[in-house]
Amino acid sequence: MIVDAQNVSRLFKMPAGPVVAVRDVTLQIREGDHIAIRGPSGCGKSTLLHMLGCVDAPTSGSLLFAGQDVSRLSDAKRSSLRLKQIGFVFQRFFLLPMLTARENVELPLSEAGVGKTERRTRVTELLDYVGLSARADHRPSQLSGGEMQRVAIARALANKPQLLLADEPTGELDVATGEQIAMLLDRVNADGTALVIVTHDQALAGRARRLLMMRDGAIEHEATA
Amino acid sequence: MNAVGFAWRSLVRQPARAALGVLGVAAVGALLFDMLMLSNGLVLSMRDLLDRYGWDIRVAGGDLPLQGPRIRNASKTADTIASLPSVRAALLLRIADARIDRPSGPPLTTQLVGVEVRSAPGRATRTSPPWTIVKGRDVNNAGEVVINTPLSSASHVAPGSTLTLRALCVAEREALPPTTLRVTGVAEFPFSGVDEYVVGGTLATLKTACGGNVEDEVDLLLVTSNGDADGAAAAIRAAGLGVNAMTNDEVVGRFQQAGFSYFRQISSVLTAVTVSFAVLLITVLLTVSVNQRLGEIAALRALGFSRSRVVKDVLSESVLIVGTGGLLSLPLGWLLAAGLDDILKAMPGVPAELHFFVLEREALAIHVSLLVLTALLAAAYPMRIVSRLPIAATLRDEVIG
Amino acid sequence: MRVGALVVLLLSLPAVASPQTVRPKPDPTHPDIIVSRQLAESEHLAVGSIVRLATDPAGTTSREFRIAGVYEPTPNPSRLGAVPREVRMHLPDLLNLIRPPSQVPGTEYVSTINIALVDPNDAAAFSRDVNARMPGVVARSSSEAAGSAGPFRVLERFHLAIASVTIVAATVFLLALTIMLVEERRETVGVLRLIGLPIRRILLQILLEGLLVALAGALFGLALASGSERLINAFFQWKYDTALIFVRITRDVALTCTAIAVPLGAAATVVASWALLRRSGLRLVRR
Repeated sequence: MIVDAQNVSRLFKMPAGPVVAVRDVTLQIREGDHIAIRGPSGCGKSTLLHMLGCVDAPTSGSLLFAGQDVSRLSDAKRSSLRLKQIGFVFQRFFLLPMLTARENVELPLSEAGVGKTERRTRVTELLDYVGLSARADHRPSQLSGGEMQRVAIARALANKPQLLLADEPTGELDVATGEQIAMLLDRVNADGTALVIVTHDQALAGRARRLLMMRDGAIEHEATA
Repeated sequence: MNAVGFAWRSLVRQPARAALGVLGVAAVGALLFDMLMLSNGLVLSMRDLLDRYGWDIRVAGGDLPLQGPRIRNASKTADTIASLPSVRAALLLRIADARIDRPSGPPLTTQLVGVEVRSAPGRATRTSPPWTIVKGRDVNNAGEVVINTPLSSASHVAPGSTLTLRALCVAEREALPPTTLRVTGVAEFPFSGVDEYVVGGTLATLKTACGGNVEDEVDLLLVTSNGDADGAAAAIRAAGLGVNAMTNDEVVGRFQQAGFSYFRQISSVLTAVTVSFAVLLITVLLTVSVNQRLGEIAALRALGFSRSRVVKDVLSESVLIVGTGGLLSLPLGWLLAAGLDDILKAMPGVPAELHFFVLEREALAIHVSLLVLTALLAAAYPMRIVSRLPIAATLRDEVIG
Repeated sequence: MRVGALVVLLLSLPAVASPQTVRPKPDPTHPDIIVSRQLAESEHLAVGSIVRLATDPAGTTSREFRIAGVYEPTPNPSRLGAVPREVRMHLPDLLNLIRPPSQVPGTEYVSTINIALVDPNDAAAFSRDVNARMPGVVARSSSEAAGSAGPFRVLERFHLAIASVTIVAATVFLLALTIMLVEERRETVGVLRLIGLPIRRILLQILLEGLLVALAGALFGLALASGSERLINAFFQWKYDTALIFVRITRDVALTCTAIAVPLGAAATVVASWALLRRSGLRLVRR
């Protein structure tokens, strides 16, 4: 089991009063899972995703990642976990504009201490995997939205994570490009990486084997394909 | 990519901003460097001037050389001092004003310096007068003089020709007859001002120019010790001659208290102001830059970049800006110091050889240390921002924004 | 013209011989003198004390005087750091004190004479007249006496040079900051351009904003300067035990600073915006 979340909740203290973004969610993610999380805006999807990815900590409940209690880990250990075991893909891509596609993909590898030669090989592999070998030396401003997202996916896969989390990965893309991204994510999952996608996109959600519907911070129901 | 490489790419991403930050640090750093050179510059330069000719004790009638009353019974005083075991030689020095009439144009007002060496019989002395010959030869006899370069140019007098002057020895009310003197050389007088005219010769020459009827008084005695200046000065004081004996260090100390303190103060104030200015502005530069990239930084944190890594990136940016600007500030500061030195040396009474800005290792070391401190302080607040960045909230805000 | 030399001569007296305090005598014939506050404090003198002054260390030609008052000496910037141990007396008393035995009374000299004119604007003409009628005498108005190379003119040039460098550095930083601040508003500007607002209109708005911010900044700067003026003067007056004013923000200084800061700030905003406005609206709104 990669992630074991038991009754996790997340409460935000706001000036107007506390807001419960995620309420008593219990969820397990296993190797090879393909999960989509859908729900109306503000239902807590992204908050849940952030907790699963150890970017945010639950206010209550327990969250184990690869058997480790995330709440007991230091910030440095959580960072290391995210670097080596989890990959993130964002709606807004968040590529560094001053780096080329190659350098963006290389970033997590160099941060993980991978040697130069191995880094180069891995980057070439990844760019090839996402079909962007020819654009390796282009900056994000020279890439289309779909290409940028493919670079972001390559970056997220750099350290061969167990789990890939994608937050609205097709949110800023047109239908056709979104379809390409969806196919790429399918391939990633087929190659063994567990995948959790938060999305409004029905078509994208329909590709998952498990579909979680959220409302008001809780999982309303779960469907299995 | 390490933190420095990353910081470099972040800066190059906004070249105009980075270049302006570097130039700003260079300008402020140049001023800082100059203030550090100024803080001790006068002291070092004065000490160098005082030590130049080997005279390591000054004996005067007042608290400072050439300020206060003249030394009376000068010959006897000089002989007594020269006979002390710790003293090698003593030089009597008297200054009078003089006017040199010219065929056309107003007369030149000049200083007439008369010197005479006294030493105990049998003591070998190799002393030099307080000037350096640059052309011709030094004076050997009464009636011979050397002049400084500005006077040589203004009066068109060269070694080998004569010079006629009218001395003003006791008070400006006297009308002494002109005296014609033979110019043997052109010399540098280290304590003369930039535009001052100086004539140097023996004490006998000066007395002759003053009409011969001059009291046995001098403005200053220069003394060379046998190696122990402090001991010799103490011996002179103990001799009860009613004079003030100061080693060169003590002279410098007194000038520091009296005349130089303004420059030390302004140097301290401006050092503090420039460092504060640089810290404030680099802080703002970095903070604005960080605030514009919060989404990127949150994304990097989400991808697994540690807190210390993103903090190091910000620190590296600060170090790069301040470091590059700091390097540029050295030649800029040097040029600026030359200009400021020229301005200050226009002050009346300032010796031409005295410099206000002197480069020394300590000034450079302090400059580097202050720049390092600036880089650290300036990065403190933006580092705090990135280290405490709430990753999830920032990612959410970026999507909403 | 000033009786500078007399004051200097008087200044030299304490250096030659410290006045000796004797028991106060109720003798009205002791000539009156006044001493500087610093001398009174260092030698524990008070009004009514009788002191003996001499021109030589042995005190061979000393005379007794009565301290009629203690005064605060006019601060002399050129002697900053030197403690003003001064004595002032009537001229005849000074001449009696310093006259050598061989000199006939009435043949002494003074170095300078200060003259107060009925109309100070006549100073230049008066000086010319005296110079023409009395050879061997040099008459100058007080402002001329300072000379173009007087120490304070030199320091003024020095301060101006430093101020110039500071302004250059501040301008560079200001430009960097305004570029960043303008960059933050690129989307807003892009939208305005796409809507159809002409560059001139947007530039005018930016200029007005820049002027407002620059004016506020200048006023804040002046307030800061006024505060630090007090602090600096208080500190250095304490440090040097003097009443000298070290920093003074006059109306002219304030106006000059504002006249430099406000246009500079406004210009920096416009220059920074100009580069942005040259790009198309579409490029500005695109991330």
